[in-house]
Amino acid sequence: MNICGVLVHARPDNTEAVKERLVQLAGVEVHGINEDGRMVVTLEEDDEGRMADTLLGLQQLEGVISASMIYHHSEEDEATPEEVIQ
Amino acid sequence: MKQTRREFIKNNAIAVTAATAGMTIPGVKEALAAGDDGIRWDKAACRYCGTGCSVLIGTKGGKVVASQGDPDAPVNRGLNCIKGYFLPKILYGKDRLTQPMLRKTNGKYDKNGKFEPVSWDEAFKTMAEKWVAARKKGPKGVGMFGSGQWTVWEGYAASKLLKAGFRSNSLEPNARHCMASAVGAFMRGFGIDEPMGCYDDLEHADVFVLWGANMAEMHPILWSRLTDTRLTKPGCEVHVLSTYEHRCFELADNGMVFTPQTDLAIANYIANYIIQNKAYNKAFLDQHVNFTKTVTDIGYGLRPDHPLQKAAKNPNKGALTKISFDEYAKSVESYTVEYASKLSGVPKKQLERLAKAYADPNKKVSSYWTMGMNQHTRGVWMNGLVYNIHLLMGKISEPGNSPFSLTGQPSACGTAREVGTFTHRLPADLVTKKDAHCKFAEKVWKLPAGTIPRADGKSDGADQPDISGKPMGKTLIHAVAMHRALKDGVMNTFWVMCNNNMQAAANMNEESWPGWRAPDNFVTVSDPYPTVSAQAADLVLPTAMWIEKEGAYGNAERRTQFWRQQTGAPGEAKSDLWQLMEFSKYVKVEDVWPEELIAKSPEYKGKTLYDVLYANGQVDKFPKTQVTDDRGNTYQNDEMDHFGYYVQKGLFEEYRMFNSADNIPKKGHEMAEFEAYHKARGIRWPVVNGKETLWRFREGYDPHVAKGEGVKFYGKPDGKANIIFGPYEPAAESPDKEYDMWLCTGRVLEHWHSGSMTQRVPELHRAVPDAVVFMHPKDAKKRRLRNGSKVKVVSRRGEIESVVETRGRNRPPEGLVFVPWFDAGRLINKVTLDATDPLSKETDYKKCAVKIVKA
Repeated sequence: MNICGVLVHARPDNTEAVKERLVQLAGVEVHGINEDGRMVVTLEEDDEGRMADTLLGLQQLEGVISASMIYHHSEEDEATPEEVIQ
Repeated sequence: MKQTRREFIKNNAIAVTAATAGMTIPGVKEALAAGDDGIRWDKAACRYCGTGCSVLIGTKGGKVVASQGDPDAPVNRGLNCIKGYFLPKILYGKDRLTQPMLRKTNGKYDKNGKFEPVSWDEAFKTMAEKWVAARKKGPKGVGMFGSGQWTVWEGYAASKLLKAGFRSNSLEPNARHCMASAVGAFMRGFGIDEPMGCYDDLEHADVFVLWGANMAEMHPILWSRLTDTRLTKPGCEVHVLSTYEHRCFELADNGMVFTPQTDLAIANYIANYIIQNKAYNKAFLDQHVNFTKTVTDIGYGLRPDHPLQKAAKNPNKGALTKISFDEYAKSVESYTVEYASKLSGVPKKQLERLAKAYADPNKKVSSYWTMGMNQHTRGVWMNGLVYNIHLLMGKISEPGNSPFSLTGQPSACGTAREVGTFTHRLPADLVTKKDAHCKFAEKVWKLPAGTIPRADGKSDGADQPDISGKPMGKTLIHAVAMHRALKDGVMNTFWVMCNNNMQAAANMNEESWPGWRAPDNFVTVSDPYPTVSAQAADLVLPTAMWIEKEGAYGNAERRTQFWRQQTGAPGEAKSDLWQLMEFSKYVKVEDVWPEELIAKSPEYKGKTLYDVLYANGQVDKFPKTQVTDDRGNTYQNDEMDHFGYYVQKGLFEEYRMFNSADNIPKKGHEMAEFEAYHKARGIRWPVVNGKETLWRFREGYDPHVAKGEGVKFYGKPDGKANIIFGPYEPAAESPDKEYDMWLCTGRVLEHWHSGSMTQRVPELHRAVPDAVVFMHPKDAKKRRLRNGSKVKVVSRRGEIESVVETRGRNRPPEGLVFVPWFDAGRLINKVTLDATDPLSKETDYKKCAVKIVKA
């Protein structure tokens, strides 16, 4: 399991276009956008190499002013779907 | 609602990210740090740069599994840069060193032998024998090269070991390569080190000026705060000065590319503009400023027999002469916009726009700089020229008006500068040049008077006796001179800790390598990884890093931050602190002190340096205890377990006797008690009555400025800061017919420093595996090169092979190439010149002449 939360900043009038570009990347989801141009993004990719490529690529994406890592969780052992917490 | 663990973790990622942005996402709740998923969370200062971000570290089963930007940290407010994201991985590189390794042949130490694993006991015995023998030659016989990445107490323990134990001032930090010019200018201008402002200026300023700092890549979190202000504050503007275009230019309202070294002329032009337009703050100047000029034509800090050094009229001189305002005005008069524009290549309009921003009384201006200004053969002058501008306008020491020297290393301020691990310094801005300061340190450290070597080798006017039987003599030796001393056989033992100086020091071919590998020299390198330095050493000691020990760093805004030990180190790796203290058990007082000195403190007879320096009733004062946070989580502390007392606390509280006791020689560095830092997200000094200080020298912000005083630069006896005139003088080496390009070196976002940590992270290494030569397309075309062509970068000293990059993130002007220096496979410092600022002794890695030829 390898998941991270990323805060992406774009110019406010440009967020829709940036969102379109973001969701084309494998494992990327956009969960929310606010009026300042901030976007809540997750990356989910168990292959660490691919995850890193996406992450580094994200920063170079047209319209992205800054991308900050907020949260990262990585565990070698994959939890089974049955392992339900609550 | 039922959810899988994966969904649970993902929800956390969304919730935490949204919370950082001040957003709520319907249906997502934050469940983090509840502790119910078996992860222990705790804060730690980031391992990388001088920004000093705080990260939350999630540990499970003794391994770091998660990290998060610390939402409670005032510095980064929940954000992390990309290197922070990869942070936990630096602990788990596949080639971590796990046991001491000594070069041996047939079971015995041999300089030309192969590395073989040895015990710590054998390692230290071998080392002690070499060190004691080398010290018999004189105080410069031994040397240590430490780090702005040392924790505060590691730097402090090292200072004691060298200055008091071995009675040698041969102690320097790698911060000499990055911060020394900034320090020099603070001392000359204000009489006290470190910035007057803080990061809060990033929200208060109307105008930002970057002088030789690529904040977008090197200080991304500060850059994101600056970006926020630029995009949300009406009228806010960003000016960027650099010798090549980099990513900051994307946000710049006024981006200026100047010819190397001509920043001196640009700064003097701005001062001239302010005076010509009578924009200066006369009342401020009358009350708070002295005008001075510095000695000129001072050479380039090269060896004395170097032609450039011989040609200089006043080599290495830095004396200041008082002048009048009118004389100062006259000195800058020739720096007209025409002259500055002609020298620098920056269009007049752009220079005028910059000057106007500084001269506008209604605009708050913050200036930022890092290595572009510090790694400069006139670095001290150049730092001073920017202070001149701020002082002329009185735009200093208040929110938004801030000349701010950024740092590269996480504790260049906290350890190298505040503890004073330089050859000429002692803790809290005290200096070995002053007999009284040394005597104060001897009292705190319970040592006989005259133990610490004075800069001139004299105490109370008399020669200090030495174990060599000869007088102590002059004792100072700076970083670059250490490599020269090794090569010349003056220094025979060298301990490199927490840095990669073989890769980092300039002029590797002619100085560093021959010095380290000279047959009589014994070089020890302590590192978590087999760096270029480790491979060039005779003894390699495996080191516990970062959160594998309890630590403290001090960042660029005077913020001291602590962390607890989060996890254990692999194999036999031990922290630098453990190594310094344990090694001191192998040396006896009689080995390194002359009889006269021991006679003054007969109780030290037969004792080890460990007994005298650390088991001194102060450092060992706090008994062993279980480290526990306020949520009841417990933490290991390997040093406490080994030595039997709370080592970190004892060292820090003894250190506080230099900066916070009643009888200290220099006020203004006060710190809080040890425990306070484990609770807070850092505290900015001076800390008086438990309160931190955001802006220094101004009434209402700084407790050392009394009511009614307004502004007081109390580092100087008369409370006034110095405006210091220094002219434009050319670089040590400029392009000519044969070597026709400027070479500038620096860093990239993905790698920090020499890459010894970041290159261990496969993802980062893959993204930017090799250092390339950033070059203008026209320069490439002229040489029949294309993007991706293999080339040699050749100087008078050496060459490297690399590939051309004409479309990258760094876009040099014609006539200049930029090469990053993280790449151990392409050691650019075979090419660079070891010219230094003659005052700060800091190397100028930004300017030398090269040619680019097809490989």
